[in-house]
Amino acid sequence: MVRTRAAVLRRTLLYTGLTVAAIVVLFPFFWMVVTAFKEPGQAFSQEIFPSDPTLENFRRVLTDYGFARYFVNSVVVASSAALFATFFATMAGYVFAKKEFVGKDKVFGFLLASLMIPGMMYVVPQFAIINWLGWMNSYKAMIIPHLANVFGLFLMRQYMMTIPSELLEAAKIDGAGEWQVFRTIMVPLSIPIIATLFLLTFQFHWNNFLWQLIVTNVERLYTVPVGLAMFKSAHEELYTLKMAGSCISVLPIAALFFFAQRYFIEGMTMGALKG
Amino acid sequence: MRRTLSIGGALLVAVALSAGCGGGQDDAATLTIWQTYNDEEYPVFKEIVESFKVAHPDITIDVIRLPFAGAEPKIQTALTTRTEPDIARVDVSFLAKLAGKNALLDLGPYVSSEFRDEILPVALSSCYYEDTLWGLPDQTNGLCLFYNREHFRAAGLDPERPPATWDELISYGKKLTNRDEGVFGIGLSNSLWWTLPFFYTHGAQFLSDDGTRCVLNSPEGVAAFQLKVDLHQRYSIEGGAWRAGGIVHDLGFQNGRYSMILNGPWAVESLKRTGIDFGVGLIPAGPAGTATNVGGNNLVVFRNTGQPELASEFLRFVASEETQRMWASRLGQIPVNVKASDAITSKEHPYLAVFVEQMKTAIPRPQVMGYPEIENLMNPEMQAALDGTKSVEAALNSAAAEIDKLLAGD
Repeated sequence: MVRTRAAVLRRTLLYTGLTVAAIVVLFPFFWMVVTAFKEPGQAFSQEIFPSDPTLENFRRVLTDYGFARYFVNSVVVASSAALFATFFATMAGYVFAKKEFVGKDKVFGFLLASLMIPGMMYVVPQFAIINWLGWMNSYKAMIIPHLANVFGLFLMRQYMMTIPSELLEAAKIDGAGEWQVFRTIMVPLSIPIIATLFLLTFQFHWNNFLWQLIVTNVERLYTVPVGLAMFKSAHEELYTLKMAGSCISVLPIAALFFFAQRYFIEGMTMGALKG
Repeated sequence: MRRTLSIGGALLVAVALSAGCGGGQDDAATLTIWQTYNDEEYPVFKEIVESFKVAHPDITIDVIRLPFAGAEPKIQTALTTRTEPDIARVDVSFLAKLAGKNALLDLGPYVSSEFRDEILPVALSSCYYEDTLWGLPDQTNGLCLFYNREHFRAAGLDPERPPATWDELISYGKKLTNRDEGVFGIGLSNSLWWTLPFFYTHGAQFLSDDGTRCVLNSPEGVAAFQLKVDLHQRYSIEGGAWRAGGIVHDLGFQNGRYSMILNGPWAVESLKRTGIDFGVGLIPAGPAGTATNVGGNNLVVFRNTGQPELASEFLRFVASEETQRMWASRLGQIPVNVKASDAITSKEHPYLAVFVEQMKTAIPRPQVMGYPEIENLMNPEMQAALDGTKSVEAALNSAAAEIDKLLAGD
């Protein structure tokens, strides 16, 4: 491959620009992490790296300020909600993509229309139902109302429609039952989109602040975002501790993103895919 | 954010409709309190609850802690399903909204005029909405001038003598500012609440007496805001703390970028911990003398409570002389009960004594339902004047016109 001078120049410019942009974007995260390791009085010192890094901030937020408990709550709520929501959306997506039943298009259109209503509008009616069921202050209330995910259904359906129906027919001819077709053909072929949906729903539930605050009245059920908000308003000035708390809240998402980048990016372009 | 606000509005309408039905819990022996105290205040508040229970051994009191940031939507949602607590601690601006939508218990019959006389007038006035008493203050605050004594010494100024007038502040500021090192005499936030001390020291009123028009664009108001703009543009002693992306005032004060800032009593304890040598002075006097704004929190009782007597007794207990004396001396906060003010001696509480003094000339902000919306209209106009894209007069005129429209539509 012969590179012309112009091409090399273009490449250099492009990478320089991208590097600068990456530094600008990543700097706040960098600052957050570095500050979390500093001594309380050193939060605004000139040095970039702490001369005497400490884990004290993490120890204090996890034990004294209850973040260990909040973290466990968040993990339980976000992972179980993401798991079940993905599971249901996958099954529903299969039905809407490959099955025929009376009024299918109408039902699908109706469900899609519900996406037009801002999520905030559901908060009060959902809360009223939770309260009526007596589910206040329970994991049930924090998880169950969000298991039916229309956006997930839409995402799954669009993807599954691209899987050739011939495959399913062949399997049926070979004697596969409905459940077997779903499990051995649809799910394996849809793994990329299933992973994407899991990550998106996990991220949503991990960050969900208002709902978890509204359905809980006890600190032992608070999740990381609620705990962090409480901590922030109570301690305006404890920057090193605040940053340690923020690190803990970002950690799972950052780790997930690191290992599953591909699926996040596919999730963004998947909507553009024509069904 | 805007979405949250408008939905909050819808929720409140629903409350107003349901509130007429009456009802409430029958559980005669439980009081539920939702509060937003911080980690230092929370243990003291629990002690207060315990000592209240000494006189009422049979009752249970559930104290529930909420993050300040989510308290409003949570209360609004609870109100629509009547799962609100008996008592909540709310910001002064939220009280008017709750009262206006008929969610609160009228405390008129439960709080005697003798007791009202004990309460710091500016704090008590924040509990009124349309001439009715809807709460009792548990905490009050206002802004004062914080200054860095180290900077004062370095500039050859007397570290025991903060500027007494705005003119003095300007001349101090010129000595303190060192643009090459990025150090400025003062750093100021933009929003309306943080600008009120400027308006009040110039004798400018916020709303007309009948509460229907915004009069911040009066000649006094224009002069007041012109001063704030001049500190930045003409004298170049203000470091642009109001700018998006600028160093916010309390941060700049902590890391030595701003020699003076306006701040409230809540900042004292944390600043002490940073080890900065700082002093607190009264807001510099303008043509109308020194004056400040009022913020704080009030305790309210919801109208669906089953125990209006008990709940209002708890509110009186928190605002009582004895409790406030303990609260103020333990936590270094301004007592809301004037009889407890003598607990704050300038020897023991040098900073707080200044705030107690300043609160005597504090001016309450008018209780209107749409205060957050007024801030939203005002702030961008003030920003435009500060960065020089609009003249002060034009900015205040257009803000006032917008606010008038809002008030008329209420």
